[in-house]
Amino acid sequence: MVILEVETGRKHEVVIGPVESKDFRKLTKKRYFFNWKEEKDQELYKLRRVDDSEILGLVSFERIPSEWRIHIRLLTVSFENKGTEKQYEGVVGNLITYVAREALKDFGEMGCVSLIPKSKLAHHYMDKYGMRQTGVTLSVELPEILELLTRYDHEK
Amino acid sequence: MQDEDAEFGVDSRYASYQAQKADGQKLMEARLERMKNVSEEDVKRARLMQLKLQIEDYLEKPTCSKQNFFTNFLSSYIDTIYTKRSSFANDIDITPVRLSQVLNNHREPHEEFMLRLMVHSEKAFQGVCDFPQKTWYQVYYQEKICDTLLREDEWKPRAEKHVKLRYDKKKK
Repeated sequence: MVILEVETGRKHEVVIGPVESKDFRKLTKKRYFFNWKEEKDQELYKLRRVDDSEILGLVSFERIPSEWRIHIRLLTVSFENKGTEKQYEGVVGNLITYVAREALKDFGEMGCVSLIPKSKLAHHYMDKYGMRQTGVTLSVELPEILELLTRYDHEK
Repeated sequence: MQDEDAEFGVDSRYASYQAQKADGQKLMEARLERMKNVSEEDVKRARLMQLKLQIEDYLEKPTCSKQNFFTNFLSSYIDTIYTKRSSFANDIDITPVRLSQVLNNHREPHEEFMLRLMVHSEKAFQGVCDFPQKTWYQVYYQEKICDTLLREDEWKPRAEKHVKLRYDKKKK
């Protein structure tokens, strides 16, 4: 998994791993837009460059085995990675792919990742990640989930 | 402008369990409908990828239990690709009886079996995802290590009877 440094065009390898208790001190609302302490009891993961401890993005999610799906609860990039001045490209794509990977691992061909963005942003997620719309909910399933994994998971 | 702000945050937490259930139900109906259009090829790809991810997980965090990981993974692999296990046996040129003995843990997979399985997997995973050649061996030996450690009480007293540690005197 890699992200692209916008200014230099350089690619950097990233890792996604569980948020540790010592991380919460750094996860301020100002820098990561939500109160992440509320997600302490959820599955909560951070993305960082392999060679740097700086947290660039976060995702919390819930596995719903009875529906063969994983629902993304909160998803964000750090303040520096928001908007046109963003430092890195690909943070959100990698986080969604990580969740998609878990869904495929747990539920095979029935695996599904869902989220509910603001309605005006739905098209962005549909265009960029091949998500489909059901009511207000967006989801990525087979076959798009495979494309997502091929695109992000194997990128070097 | 819309896209610029799209990725800095999504809060899609459900307001209640009822809201989650209702959403899940609607979504499930739509998903099942969409699944009808998914090709058999994509289902097979998804299952092979699922198997690879599960094996990766096992190798990263090996579980020492009495479960037969190697044969369980191998059975999933065969059942993903074939409707009859005997077809797999034919494809790797062994008898269905021999395959059945391996899958039921009545016989160890010999080296030739492992080598043919490696070649078979290389072909099966081509165009699906990367599946390192060493994978099946890693699973097999990981399970052997765990199994040996779990049965320490059985083999150690017996083995100890045959082991001494005597240092040779150094020559001046």
